[in-house]
Amino acid sequence: MRVLIVEDDSMIGESLREALRGHGFAADWVRDGRAADEVLATERFDAVLLDLGLPQRSGLDVLRALRARGDATPVIVVTARDALADKVAGLDTGADDYLVKPFELDELLARLRAVERRRTGRANPVLEVADLRLDPATREVSRGGRPVLLSAREFALLAALMERPGAILSRAQLEDRLYGWGEELESNAISVYMHQLRRKLGDDLLHTVRGLGYYAGPAKDA
Amino acid sequence: MHSLRARLFVFLLALAGLSAAGVAGATYFGVRGEIDELFDYHLRQMALSLRDQGRIADDERAALQNPEFDYVVQVWSADGVALYSSRPDSLREALPPRAVLGFSDVPLDGGTWRVYSAATPARVVQVGQPLAVRRRLAAAAAGRSVLPIVVAAPVVALALWALVSLSLAPLTRAAAAARERNERRLDPLPLAGMPSEVEPLVASFNALLARLASAFEAQRAFVADAAHELRSPLTALKLQLGLLRDAASAEQRQVALDRLRSGIDRATRLVEQLLALARAEPDAPAALEPLDLAALARETVAEAAPLALQHGATIALHASAPAPVAGDAAALRSLLRNLLDNAVLHGGPAPRIEITVERDARGGVRLVVDDNGLGIPPAERERVFARFHRREGGAAGGSGLGLAIVRAVAARHGASVALGDSPLGGLRVEVQFAPAPT
Repeated sequence: MRVLIVEDDSMIGESLREALRGHGFAADWVRDGRAADEVLATERFDAVLLDLGLPQRSGLDVLRALRARGDATPVIVVTARDALADKVAGLDTGADDYLVKPFELDELLARLRAVERRRTGRANPVLEVADLRLDPATREVSRGGRPVLLSAREFALLAALMERPGAILSRAQLEDRLYGWGEELESNAISVYMHQLRRKLGDDLLHTVRGLGYYAGPAKDA
Repeated sequence: MHSLRARLFVFLLALAGLSAAGVAGATYFGVRGEIDELFDYHLRQMALSLRDQGRIADDERAALQNPEFDYVVQVWSADGVALYSSRPDSLREALPPRAVLGFSDVPLDGGTWRVYSAATPARVVQVGQPLAVRRRLAAAAAGRSVLPIVVAAPVVALALWALVSLSLAPLTRAAAAARERNERRLDPLPLAGMPSEVEPLVASFNALLARLASAFEAQRAFVADAAHELRSPLTALKLQLGLLRDAASAEQRQVALDRLRSGIDRATRLVEQLLALARAEPDAPAALEPLDLAALARETVAEAAPLALQHGATIALHASAPAPVAGDAAALRSLLRNLLDNAVLHGGPAPRIEITVERDARGGVRLVVDDNGLGIPPAERERVFARFHRREGGAAGGSGLGLAIVRAVAARHGASVALGDSPLGGLRVEVQFAPAPT
């Protein structure tokens, strides 16, 4: 899941990026409103964490412009402004959620997962394909009731594929979901992670479509 | 007597009483004078008519003898023989035989009599009347004229009380309105209907309320700003704590610990800056004592230098001659420290900083801090003094309070702060202390 952090406070931005990356998100960070505008206009994110008090351009302006472009990317406003009027203005301008600083990291992660669930139209937080289960909240994966240990990257890759079972995701799409800017990326990273996933989960649920990409689905010959 | 109302009432009542007594007295004496004249005229006419009549007729005699008749008539022959006396039996003494001609007051029978004597060559006719009668009549007349005043007295007193109360009502109103004011309600008292004597009082009270309101508002804004600003370091701390918790390896834990420590340093610095600003607010009690700003600058720069040098800064201090100012050493140290920190923070990759403390021609003291950073464009120079103002693209970790503290400390010392272009290429901050009063 790729998240854009818009935050002018470098200490918060940096820690937030590290924390999200540590929890398997691909996190990118911009420091001002104008940069956020440019990045949001050219790249696709699964969620945006938007501060309101930004240099150059206010967070509300960024949000307004985003929605005016018809972009429905989920936005969580993360701000120190706790007045009711600010919350109402933020939500009415098009925010999906509103989180007041200071917040607990766990709450932010839960809200990100909730936003992701709503985006993909699922009510049940647990992803399932056949007997493969993935719980984004507890980060637990099991196959046939037997728990499987995955690294953060493996987990993120599997989650991306299991969100929409049957949908083919290209290598580039998956790289976008897994890596933020400036993160070192080997050209064959995705196939390496796919290999490890198949090794841990069995190779019957994760499929390769040569030249197109990968998808998760029930075993074809079952 | 502390009540204005009671005092006014008593004084007015006393005044009204005195007036009534004055009117009664004047009436009494006026009426007495008139009655005297009238009775004197009667006495004289009676005496003259009896004298010219020659003898007193019998029926007249009977009338004169009537005991209800106040007058006494006596006739004497020229050689002193009493020819006639209408003296009633009740009168033990006779009128004195040889009275002066014309009017005279004669003491007789325990009272004073008014007597008129008229003479012919052959006899003397005397007509007398007791003065007490006249006095009684005059007193009765005076009493009648004062009676309405006495009857009206309670009404007048009541009216006076009402009048005094009515006149003092605006004061009562103002007092009641003032009582309703508190720290949450500081709107001005209504001036409408205030008499011109009370208006200045209410107006000054309103001015005080306005000053209080703005002071409270400033305080409230400061607290709100501070609360808002404290959220950023706290947010960073919570995130850093989360990172520490989730650290998988010893290496990651060390990085997370370092981050957490710098987050705590930042929060600590912000709290210290907030305190410095609160202490430097202009209404804080000022304890200014004579000190040498040059010595203080040497001390402060020496303390700050090691850290600045770590940042690759070059610092030069020109403060050899004493620079006496009246000041608060702790506040001035904080001013110097903030200017120095700003210069290091905004001085670019290799900050060069020059600090000058010198006496100027007018006997004041000038503190100049130059750096070689990017400077501040003139249009922005006023804004950077605002609390929590951070310049865009400014260095991270600043509290946004430095220049606000500098200005507040300067204001407390009656000094001015000006931003300008430095010969080093960056910002020049100039703090000008007025000559110390001698």
